[in-house]
Amino acid sequence: MRRVRILMGVAAIAVAIGLWFALTAPPDALQGEYARLLGIHPPAMWLAFLAFGVTALGSIMWLINRADRWDRLASASVEIGVIFTAIGLFTGMVWGQAVWGTPWDWQDPRLMSTAVMFFVYLGYLALRNAIDDPTVRARRSAILGVVAVIQVPLVYFSVNLFRTLHQTQSIRPDGSTMPDEMLTAMLVNMVAFTILYIALMAARLDVARAEAEAKPETSLAGDAVRPPLLNEIEDV
Amino acid sequence: MTFWKQALEIARVDMVVERRAGETLRIVLPFSVVALMVFPLALGLQLNIVSVVGIGVFWALGILFGMQVALRQSATDTAERRDLQALAGVDPAARFAGRVLSGGVLMAGFLGLMLLATAILFDPNVPRGGWPVLLVSTVLVAIGLTELGTLAGEVTTGLRARTPLASLIVAPLALPLVIGASQAVQALERDTSILPWVLLLIASDLALAVAGVALARPLEEATR
Repeated sequence: MRRVRILMGVAAIAVAIGLWFALTAPPDALQGEYARLLGIHPPAMWLAFLAFGVTALGSIMWLINRADRWDRLASASVEIGVIFTAIGLFTGMVWGQAVWGTPWDWQDPRLMSTAVMFFVYLGYLALRNAIDDPTVRARRSAILGVVAVIQVPLVYFSVNLFRTLHQTQSIRPDGSTMPDEMLTAMLVNMVAFTILYIALMAARLDVARAEAEAKPETSLAGDAVRPPLLNEIEDV
Repeated sequence: MTFWKQALEIARVDMVVERRAGETLRIVLPFSVVALMVFPLALGLQLNIVSVVGIGVFWALGILFGMQVALRQSATDTAERRDLQALAGVDPAARFAGRVLSGGVLMAGFLGLMLLATAILFDPNVPRGGWPVLLVSTVLVAIGLTELGTLAGEVTTGLRARTPLASLIVAPLALPLVIGASQAVQALERDTSILPWVLLLIASDLALAVAGVALARPLEEATR
């Protein structure tokens, strides 16, 4: 518990520093103040990719050695990934409205593929929610976790594969297309969001461990009632 | 028994069960045609709009009702049947391949009949040379959708909310198929190459086939 509090504290400081960098960077010549979304939108999507990658890793590890901790890691990471995908989509729509004049463009493959990824992982969470047996739940969600991660490279490279309103990657092997202040703000926020992810994962894993330990003692409604056995039934 | 003999036997049994149950031809197909007929009524019988959106409606309804074909009850194994197949030494990958074979044939037939109904009811605007492209896309979508449906059906076997849950998993993952199929026809209209879109469909089908075969054994365990 103390470890989680310390991590949360560190994450809060890191996010505050990240916000300070985003808010003090100079506005963009074309996009104006909206360019400050660079401090939230790309880091949120980076965190979503990281989270779904960790889910795939946890799923593969569970399929290899069947240890509960890998299943807990995979499911906790999906929950965080889905939240940050939603944040990424929302901030992207706000940015799109300001820059493209529309929050949603049906012909934009980055938007579409991100929304699809969001729904696939909502399906993952719905699948987990529908299964009571922990082992069956772990097996089936591990399989879906491995299949679903195919979406991540599709989303990332969609801007290179198709014609799109969304810009291509700003950081390339031959350097960055952004001014140094903007690049610094984005990178600091990416580090801050990564620390936030670690803190949220630590907290969620603690809860998942506690849930797993509490499960054997949890009784369902009607558990106290059982049908009579044959030898208990008296002839009438 | 070799892998392919096992797969063909699974496919044959599936087709026999489907012939007896008639889920695809007697239930899903009429339902989908009714849905096709509802659409122009919902648009207020504006026939010019109906012709323009015809192929789009076909793909949207084809994917939605195709999921019903892929997740049909007659392709769902009981626990006893699974145990029997496992005891008989049936390779889980062969079971996946067999199911995709039978489902793919049914799905291609179903989508083909839906396309025919769309052509008759909607008189859709299709560019010159568009029908052969539509037929090829239909077959490729049928294969991909069956693979996806088989995977999702296995993952959700025995669950109370199986059909909506499997649909929730299949629908978003089927989007590359819809995009590839619709863009192939649009590419003809734009007078650009259809090759990238056909390749997208083939790549999706292959990726799903590899995933299905590679995950067949864990899937087999997952449904016990």
